[in-house]
Amino acid sequence: MTTTYDARRGTLRGTAGPTSSTSQNLMIFVLSMSLFGLSNILLEVIPDVSLGPVEISVSYFVFIPLTLAALLSPFWVALGAPLGEIVFTDLLMGDFSGLAEVEGFIQMFLAVFIAGSLIRNPRSRVQLVLGALLVVGIDKLLSAAVDLAKVWVGVEEAELVAGLPESILLLEGIGFVVDLLMSGVLFGVVPALWLVPQLHGRLEPLLGLQPREPGRPVPGSAPRATWFVVVAVLAGAGSFFFAFLEEVDMSPGALDAELDASFLWISAGAAAVLLTIAAVLFAVHRRRAAATSTLRDEDAA
Amino acid sequence: MALTRTTHDVLSVEWIKLELIRTAYATRGGLVARMDPRVVLGWYALLALAPWFTHNLTTLGALFVLAAVFVVLARVGPLVLGLFVIGLISEMVYLAVAALFFDGDLDTVLALTEVTLKLGVVSLASLAAFVSLDPEKLSDALLALRMPATAAFAVSYGYRMMPILVEEFSTVLESARLREPAPSRGGVLGWRHLVHWATLVVRAFYPIFLNTAKSVRTTVEALEARGFTAATIDPRARAIRLASLRVTGLDLAVVAATLAAVVGCHLIGAQWPLHRG
Repeated sequence: MTTTYDARRGTLRGTAGPTSSTSQNLMIFVLSMSLFGLSNILLEVIPDVSLGPVEISVSYFVFIPLTLAALLSPFWVALGAPLGEIVFTDLLMGDFSGLAEVEGFIQMFLAVFIAGSLIRNPRSRVQLVLGALLVVGIDKLLSAAVDLAKVWVGVEEAELVAGLPESILLLEGIGFVVDLLMSGVLFGVVPALWLVPQLHGRLEPLLGLQPREPGRPVPGSAPRATWFVVVAVLAGAGSFFFAFLEEVDMSPGALDAELDASFLWISAGAAAVLLTIAAVLFAVHRRRAAATSTLRDEDAA
Repeated sequence: MALTRTTHDVLSVEWIKLELIRTAYATRGGLVARMDPRVVLGWYALLALAPWFTHNLTTLGALFVLAAVFVVLARVGPLVLGLFVIGLISEMVYLAVAALFFDGDLDTVLALTEVTLKLGVVSLASLAAFVSLDPEKLSDALLALRMPATAAFAVSYGYRMMPILVEEFSTVLESARLREPAPSRGGVLGWRHLVHWATLVVRAFYPIFLNTAKSVRTTVEALEARGFTAATIDPRARAIRLASLRVTGLDLAVVAATLAAVVGCHLIGAQWPLHRG
């Protein structure tokens, strides 16, 4: 089978390597945003099936960000995918939940970025399988850890219900396995194994990029390792705080009527701390993005 | 076959697409659509934060009614409203089941109702604020709040492109369905239909990937030809874009009325307090 290249391929932009320019990063970002947003709209109209407290549903089409991250720059794909979810479904469908969106954004970004950076060779089936499982694994593990921490903190204050931690742990475990099977394998590994080889070498020329080849460095993967670790740790901590603030109301014992006044101030203080963290994260990201884009421009020049 | 036909009739992709197009393009002429987008964001923050400072069920109920009134004033379409109501009901059912599972009593259910009410107020406020707001105005507001230009662009692009993307996807999906016969027998719980449908959806994404890549490249090239990246660096471009934003008397009146109403909700709550436990 011969690969028919698009007429617009022409001379590729940028340098000889698979680096991408600022506008190509924007293309990757918008592409990832649109496709992941579209898939989320499809999932929005499908009703979820829940068996008691365990929900059997497809959380998202993992194969879409995974395919893009395997073929293109993982950083921009990871940035675009959760934003697509927020813009396309949450804002437009009125599902916008404020701080919880930030938590979801950070979790999804970390999951897709780490999994995408791991895939060195888009033709390798083993790496694709690992990547799909990693996306769901990291995303769901982070949210499960947050959930467990919430219960732990909540129960510590209230009366200790016998067997509650165990049952929560069991529920989280079942939910994790179900998610891994449904989202990770059925709508992650299986479609990605078919789609990635199909699109490899066909999708990239449409964006004016050279196809990724094994052995070549991944474009846009963690420009500076130390910065990445700092941002990742901050993001992980931030994700925990955001989720915790959102659910602090759920924890039993924290909201007795007599505790009302103090609780109000605690939550107001928590909100202020969170806003500061968010602002810091935001500034870090902006400086980072600006630094990488100038670096790229210098490279290209 | 019966399964596919009924699901098709209840939730037709075509109807969703038309409704989304109306949401994205048509202004239904609601109250929020006429306001300054920056003020709308502030107004949303006011209404979204208000429920978290109380545990009084009366106050929360009053806030819920207030948010519902704003949704009516903003003229939100039936699709998003329907999805919201379905989501709220399923959330309630899920919470009740979860409470029963954990040996909970009425108190647990009440506690969960409180959380659902709070989330409901936030959701209604976001329905009123974001669904009826023009995407260009929303992205201007984000830009005014010093969000990165890429995020502001993403919002307006998403609102505008989504109906087109959904239409393209449904075209591809429908033609794939025409080419391939549905399984003759459903099997247990119609699993054959489910597998058939899931396979079609996944396979439809192959052309969609390529088409979207092409259209995205065209969009970005058009953007760059008009100096998108240059405009993000030069502060004068931002000033030009934000010059049209004006805070009018209507905005101030709406914010003042909302403030008064929120205070009123708290007063009502103080008059007839209803706490759980």
